[in-house]
Amino acid sequence: MSNQSVGIFFDGKSAVPQPCSLFLDTQKGMLLFETETGHHERWLISAVSFENFGNSLQLQKQSTDGIEILKITDATFAAAIQKFRKENNHINWYEKLLASGFKMHLVLALVIFALIGLTYLYAIPWVGERSVVLIPESYDNTLSGTFISDHLLFSEVESKKTKALNAFAKELQLNNKKNLKFIFVEEDVVNAFALPDGTIVVYSGIVNKMKNYDELVALLGHEAAHVNHRHSMKMLCRNLSGYLFISAILGDANGIMATIGDNVNSFQSLSFSREFEQEADREGFAIVIKNKVNPNGMLNLFKRLQDEGDAIIPEFLSSHPVTQQRIATTRQLVKSTPHQVEANRNLQQLFQQLKK
Amino acid sequence: MEEILPEKMQYKLDFKGKGETFFGIVIVNWLLTIVTLGIYYPWAKAKTLQFMFGQTTLNDDAFAFHGTGKEMFKGFLKAIVLFICLAAVMGIFVYLEMPFLGLLFFYLGIFAVLPLAIHGSYRYRMSRTTWRGIRFGYRGDKKEFVKLFFKWIFYTVITLGIYGSWFQMNLRSYVLSNIRFGDAEMNYDGDGGDYLLMNIKGYFLTLFTLGIYSFWWQKDIFEYYVNNLSLHKDDKRIEFTSTATGADFIGLIIINLLMIIFTLGLGYAWVVTRTMKFIFDHIELDGTIDLNTLQQTEENFKDATGDDISDFLDIDFIV
Repeated sequence: MSNQSVGIFFDGKSAVPQPCSLFLDTQKGMLLFETETGHHERWLISAVSFENFGNSLQLQKQSTDGIEILKITDATFAAAIQKFRKENNHINWYEKLLASGFKMHLVLALVIFALIGLTYLYAIPWVGERSVVLIPESYDNTLSGTFISDHLLFSEVESKKTKALNAFAKELQLNNKKNLKFIFVEEDVVNAFALPDGTIVVYSGIVNKMKNYDELVALLGHEAAHVNHRHSMKMLCRNLSGYLFISAILGDANGIMATIGDNVNSFQSLSFSREFEQEADREGFAIVIKNKVNPNGMLNLFKRLQDEGDAIIPEFLSSHPVTQQRIATTRQLVKSTPHQVEANRNLQQLFQQLKK
Repeated sequence: MEEILPEKMQYKLDFKGKGETFFGIVIVNWLLTIVTLGIYYPWAKAKTLQFMFGQTTLNDDAFAFHGTGKEMFKGFLKAIVLFICLAAVMGIFVYLEMPFLGLLFFYLGIFAVLPLAIHGSYRYRMSRTTWRGIRFGYRGDKKEFVKLFFKWIFYTVITLGIYGSWFQMNLRSYVLSNIRFGDAEMNYDGDGGDYLLMNIKGYFLTLFTLGIYSFWWQKDIFEYYVNNLSLHKDDKRIEFTSTATGADFIGLIIINLLMIIFTLGLGYAWVVTRTMKFIFDHIELDGTIDLNTLQQTEENFKDATGDDISDFLDIDFIV
């Protein structure tokens, strides 16, 4: 094995390359060299930092007034030094990790990706939803106030029918913890939505499609469930925390990845909302049963909504895509849940008033 | 009378880093940053810079970055304390129900730190950079720079942003012209007016060609940055010239995009190394300075605070 070679030395004072002859003393762990001008150096290998360039090596030694550099281009000699370092455990864990090879790095990358993915899918929504308790309920009201003044400004609130709708709701037990307020808007929109402060807006378009009051009960039950569970606020928190997480991870990667991340996040929020819809369906159904109203009304309501196709939906509040699955689940519920039905004249009457 | 013309010298810039190597560094950095809940970040940054500088060569000798994670960690802590203080003051304003005043204060605070961050990060980073052991240095004057910075900002505001072009060029000129490479001095002389015209042309042509011209616009910007750069030592100089064409930029940008998308981001390391390679392959040096005659002149400097603040504020390093 050769333990002698030539290299180039820079003394840290000028940029003049000084060719030198090298000698590796494995006994003492020293690198000895002498420049052509007769300048001698002895470097302790463990005290020098290394930079790899393919087959060549660059050694750097911090001296009191500068950085001295030794460049070794002789591949076999460079390998001999590296071999010496390996045998004497000079290679630290960091270098070992770096040297563990492309396959290992790829595996590590995939593990990191999986960790991030799992955190995003499971931990972040959970944290987001739990963080809802930190937001005072008064903020729900502020948010709703802004929404009402922004969106219902040009809508026609029918005061007579609004009264009737409130009376209709009063006949029902809606499991609500906060006061619910109902607004009837005269507009041909087949939709209804709930605001976080307990305001539930029902459009005449959807009521006119209904054939029986049991459908309206199902609708109100569903919307009340959204309010009871603070779904809009949960959604907001989930979206926000997901967004923060993604931008924290990809922040310094680059614009393209950030954009992809944003889109993933909005897809994700779509499935959040589906989850909330299912929860509202289940509780809405329970409300219908509790009030001894015919649960088939819920099925009929869904079928009508489905026929209607997509209505105009205020985005972040609640969306009601009626899917085959939701209908099937409800049909299953109707079959499996024992229920009593009692005709309610008051509801029937109020419903007729609303339909006028 | 016969004049002796200084001999033309040969220079070659190159980037030798392999995507595969950088991928390893990125992944190990990520792993350690996650495991330490972010504390490793300054060390990760030092490793990245060491790779970037260490793989860049001039006449086949590598540059080197000697900054350490420890130095940067101190800077990192100071930057965090600064941000916490600013946020706390904002919190007090919010508590007093004056959120807008608080926000204003917060942004003004960050704004005030901006020139200090630029100054600090250049001073630190240059002082830790060497080539053949010869240190770089930044000799800008802090007070002067802060004054100029706010003067330019003021002009930019009162001209509704038009002065922004001069702001950018003045900033670049000030910072780059204060860089020393041993006993050689960098110089940048871009002009705000030319830069503005170039960008107006770039903007409208990009609009008219439905975006296709953007590559040539990119090429113009790169060229404007590179061609106005020079290095001086005594009466000798080195001129920088860009050799990149619009078509070269199409190749770079489109392929980078495809690499990122089809590897779901894993190709990031290769994108970085090929971009670095692209940059250094397209800068040509031409001049008379004998690099062997460069002498050590710049001092060691250790405070990394500016570097980390600029990192938080996401300021791109100008060069």
